[in-house]
Amino acid sequence: MSMPAATERIGTLERILRDYEAVAAQLPDSAVAADTRRRAARELARLGWPSARDEQWRYANLRAFERVPAFRPAAPAGATAAEQGAAGAAFELPAPLPGFERWVYVDGVRQGPPAAAAAADATPSWSAEQRFGLLCDMFAADRAALRIRGQAAIELLFITSSRAAGAAVYPRLQVELEAGSRLALVERHLGVHDAPSLVCAGVAIELGRGSQLQHYRLQQCGTQAVFTDTLSARLSEESSYQVRQIGIGAGTARTSARVALAGRGASLGWQAIAVGRGEQVHDTTLEVEHMAPGTRTEEVFRGIADERSRLAFSGHIHIDAAAPGSEARQSLRGLIEGAGAEIDLRPRLEINTDEVRAQHGATTGQLDDNLLFYLLARGLDRKTARALLKWAFLGDVLRAIDLPALRSAAEHGAAGQLPDVMAVGALA
Amino acid sequence: MSGTAGTSAPAAASDAAVPLLEVRDLHVRVGEQAVLRGVSLRIRVGEVHAIMGPNGSGKSTLAHVLAGRPGYEIVSGSATFEGRDLFALAPEERARAGLFLGFQYPVEIPGVNNAYLLTAAANAARRERGQPELDAFEFLALVRSKMSLMQIDESFLGRGVNEGFSGGEKKRNEILQMLVLEPKLALLDETDSGLDIDALKVVASGVNSLRAAARAIVLVTHYQRLLEHIVPDFVHVLARGRIARSGDRTLALELERRGYDWIGEQAA
Repeated sequence: MSMPAATERIGTLERILRDYEAVAAQLPDSAVAADTRRRAARELARLGWPSARDEQWRYANLRAFERVPAFRPAAPAGATAAEQGAAGAAFELPAPLPGFERWVYVDGVRQGPPAAAAAADATPSWSAEQRFGLLCDMFAADRAALRIRGQAAIELLFITSSRAAGAAVYPRLQVELEAGSRLALVERHLGVHDAPSLVCAGVAIELGRGSQLQHYRLQQCGTQAVFTDTLSARLSEESSYQVRQIGIGAGTARTSARVALAGRGASLGWQAIAVGRGEQVHDTTLEVEHMAPGTRTEEVFRGIADERSRLAFSGHIHIDAAAPGSEARQSLRGLIEGAGAEIDLRPRLEINTDEVRAQHGATTGQLDDNLLFYLLARGLDRKTARALLKWAFLGDVLRAIDLPALRSAAEHGAAGQLPDVMAVGALA
Repeated sequence: MSGTAGTSAPAAASDAAVPLLEVRDLHVRVGEQAVLRGVSLRIRVGEVHAIMGPNGSGKSTLAHVLAGRPGYEIVSGSATFEGRDLFALAPEERARAGLFLGFQYPVEIPGVNNAYLLTAAANAARRERGQPELDAFEFLALVRSKMSLMQIDESFLGRGVNEGFSGGEKKRNEILQMLVLEPKLALLDETDSGLDIDALKVVASGVNSLRAAARAIVLVTHYQRLLEHIVPDFVHVLARGRIARSGDRTLALELERRGYDWIGEQAA
């Protein structure tokens, strides 16, 4: 007699909900209110698990998410500081950034005392494309909550330790900038290489009038990790949000971001790099909504796909009827290095008002043979010449990282994937 | 000794020495089209040769084939550089062995700065010669005087390779690279094209500063005017993929007077 298939191969959504029921009682209210968690679970159940047939999920490596062994958090409330400290101590931290206050999270839980100026929990309403954000709402064991008045520089290190192997980690970040405030924020995801785990980040940003956020995002998770981050940002009048995102790590990574330019004159700069090798899959969807007059977006993506890796970037900029005088520029470029590699770029501009300045371009190609020959004819070896051209290709974004220590880390991070790059400072 | 007129006028003096570059009966095709149809050329150290010819005669092809540019099919013939089979070497090996190609259309490489390229190129050549690599200070000391000769501002070093350069700046940058690399053989492909007279003089003075007993220079050019500033020892006229005529600099003057048609008729 055969068993019904459903009981043998339980669906991903059912596994998530079951894991949630099992740990819900232990999850701390201080990270996410129990009500919010329950609502998130219900919403996820309503939306269901995404399908690759859906355009927004077409290039995501959903299978990798479906193979995640467990969705329960690696460190629910029970873990002691000592246990967490031991897990973190095994990891070699990057050199501190001068002038930055450092907060370290190991497996989603903060090391040391909780933040003094915690913002109230501000859970955004995630769109269907952002439903992985609901996972973070359901399971997060802690949160980094920043409410900034004045000026600050903070570095957040989210470390996934080997303790998280076979489980999940939910970094949760909430940032609120009061009017006129400025924050330089480094958000760095690091992980040990031997730990298959899910890292599922949820980030909510609220920028007050005239505030400025420089947000540096480095994803350097271990190669076994499945990484996803869901970001929602809302920009008030004359505020500025500058994102520099470098995606290098994880076997599978997906970013689902949504930025609302809600106030007059708000501006967004989103500059991202993804470098894939092996069988890595990196997929980003970025939705920007211009909701007020005189708002600006500058979106740059540079991706290099080596070996059999796959990269995708979908950038959708929507300019409302209520946003005359807006400007949007989108430049998406991909470089295919591997014979089995693939890059999919989808720029999309939707304009519903006059007096808009908008341009977009998307190109995918291989290294230019003429440039390569020029370097070879100057005696550079082939490996160096290729690496140099790849660096130059990423240069637009690397140059935009104006913190020297971080730029160097990003260059070295990318250089780890580009062999034989001799010197930092090659970029004009 | 053969009595034919040709490229080896001073052969009697140095027949025993291995020529720096020897090209023999070289046939090259691009796709289905034969571009070089039996080119032979012998170049010794200390010599300056000019290769002239009408558009489409194959002069740039010759320079690029010798430098190793892909996309050409070598049908037959040979080329040796200091006795080594040139075609067995990759482009970067040819460069490190001392062969320099000055490009007619130097490419722009936004994002890679000139200083980096110059240092990397100079150090690749130095490693090949068994010399220690230059550090940043030694490099600057080396490059400063050469930049001043080429009337290139020091701010160029931090800019992207040829990025936003005018035609004249690109050509001066090519010569600067040549001065830094000190090649044994410089193949300068139409270095004079697009230059005004002042820029032409700067480029010429750069090339002349590199004239030496241990080095040879090949000027690929359409016009005689470059040769007023860099006086060649030999002039060859390429027509329809062959060297149709060789002589001394008076041949260039004759071409200036009579054009290329009479050569073409002879070569046909």
